[in-house]
Amino acid sequence: MERPIRTYLGGDALLTALGYGTEANYRAIEAGCCGLRPDAVSSGLAAAGRIDPALMRSLAIEGYTLLESAMIRCAEAAAAETGTELAAEECALIVSTTKGNVELLRTAVDVPAEAYLYTLAERVARRLGIRRRPTVICNACISGVAALIVARRMIRNGDCRHVLVVGGDLLTEFVAEGFLSFKSVSPGPCRPYDAAPEHGLSLGEAVGALLLTADPSKAKRPAVVLEGGAVTNDANHISGPSRTGDGLHYAIEQALTEARIPREMLSFANAHGTGTAYNDAMESKALARSGLSELPMNSLKGYIGHTLGASGVVESILAAEELRRGLCFGTAGFSRAGTPCPLGVAAAHRPLTMRHALKTASGFGGCNAAIVLGLEPHVPTEQASETEYEAREVACYQLPQSDKPFAEHIRTLYKALEAPNMKFYKMDDLSKAGYLAAEYLLRGQNLTERYRPAEIAVVLENRSSSLDTDLAHQRIVNEHHAEGTSPAIFVYTLPNVVAGEICIRHRIQGENAFFIDDALDTAEGYARRLIARGTARAVICGRCEYFAGRHDVRFTLLEKS
Amino acid sequence: MEQIIRELKEQIVEALNLEEISPEEIDAEAPLFGDGLGLDSIDALEIILILEKNYGIRLENTAEAKPHFYSVKSLAEYIVANRQK
Repeated sequence: MERPIRTYLGGDALLTALGYGTEANYRAIEAGCCGLRPDAVSSGLAAAGRIDPALMRSLAIEGYTLLESAMIRCAEAAAAETGTELAAEECALIVSTTKGNVELLRTAVDVPAEAYLYTLAERVARRLGIRRRPTVICNACISGVAALIVARRMIRNGDCRHVLVVGGDLLTEFVAEGFLSFKSVSPGPCRPYDAAPEHGLSLGEAVGALLLTADPSKAKRPAVVLEGGAVTNDANHISGPSRTGDGLHYAIEQALTEARIPREMLSFANAHGTGTAYNDAMESKALARSGLSELPMNSLKGYIGHTLGASGVVESILAAEELRRGLCFGTAGFSRAGTPCPLGVAAAHRPLTMRHALKTASGFGGCNAAIVLGLEPHVPTEQASETEYEAREVACYQLPQSDKPFAEHIRTLYKALEAPNMKFYKMDDLSKAGYLAAEYLLRGQNLTERYRPAEIAVVLENRSSSLDTDLAHQRIVNEHHAEGTSPAIFVYTLPNVVAGEICIRHRIQGENAFFIDDALDTAEGYARRLIARGTARAVICGRCEYFAGRHDVRFTLLEKS
Repeated sequence: MEQIIRELKEQIVEALNLEEISPEEIDAEAPLFGDGLGLDSIDALEIILILEKNYGIRLENTAEAKPHFYSVKSLAEYIVANRQK
């Protein structure tokens, strides 16, 4: 029988508004420092967690963008900490980012190659000497946590011994204007879970690198294990958090089940805690439904801001340090409880006896993610063998090509469906294409009658992410900055929102994953693995590409045999 | 007032991509959100943008402004009372 493989947390490194290095960040938070300041670049941001520009420049590598440079520096530091050879055949790279080098679109006439997320990842991988093709996850604000879950599965599956997860997003005008249009930016430093009448998030920027490894000798001490994780969808709304918290609740339950940890064994939770009223209320409901209202918990957004695609990596690194050092950080900005359900949140740091920690994240597109981290002596022995299920292809649909303009073509296909949806014309072209392909794929399948919502997953990939809509949003930012940008466009500058649209339409609440891959060969293999391991019983998977009037959409429905 | 209602209907149809609805089909007194036109929170933000761009109305407190977003008519009344341009 095959020996079960544990996933250890190896070396790590961070770059945030509080400085460079995990130790520097830990010490700053321990001392109660707040990295949120009035923003010098974007006047609309009363408080933002911007990385010190001089520090950022000092890390720059010639020939690389600032984001790529910071990713490379953090990756090298993380690998060096526990002496891991990145050039080894057994090391893979996962990049977690929502917008990558989107700043390049601001001044570019043509789209530069580095604006493509996969190109960014390839450049970072090559510089690091990593020979395998990188994996890119672009799943809104859960990207970082989702990347850790994907990394754990790669290790458990025996694909590789080590996975370097690098998360990074910078605070660009693109992102700032988008969140301002959503009226979700706090008028001061954010105040997660607080009763203050003025709610909202504080944007931040960060890069984090965390090495996951099957090799216990490469674990950072005291050893912390990534014990399990899950991703779900609310199937409720593309930007508004669930009003019931059910999606996040399911993610927590599945993560605990995979980790085989009873909830009573959790020592604390590091939640998403953006500071927006809807997010914080949703989290309080989800934790209550999971029986965790009294669990000590915190949000780190009041120290470093919401760092988007980096947040899951950065906050998991810090949560692991809290476990190792026996200290649950206080929540900066919190003073009086303001959530509909009680939470074990506190302003002050609390020393705790540590065993296991829960880390959660939620994001646009209705996605949620949860992982369980455990200090080694408390980690249960992993189950030796898992039953492997076969996946079979049940249906396949390719969105037809046409000589007509895309708008006309897609309208014809939509009309032919005879299934009106008020939301259809509000979608961007990528979402319209994916939505219609899913409609045609699932016609007559009675999928949601045969499976529970949580048993169905959506796994998609493409080459250009949401670049087409990114250009539209950037154009508005450049030309109509003073008048404000359109929230209805900005929300689609995340490719996983198409998965969210499909989930809402078909009431699908299982895993969502969106990969960016030049070779377009990640999604189906990943989907088959979800079925093989029993994570999903049915998966809609495939490519969903749209850019500049051209589409390439091909979905497959896989089901457990 | 009639003029503003007509304008507003056209602006809403355009900004919210209500492709299959003509401005005339919108009942000025019917609820915009929930049942009625089935608008959601993103649409509400787009309407806020219409108020800012076209009528110079800046909403400081969106929660307080909520009753004015009930229908096209209530929005038109709010615009008449508060417009800056």
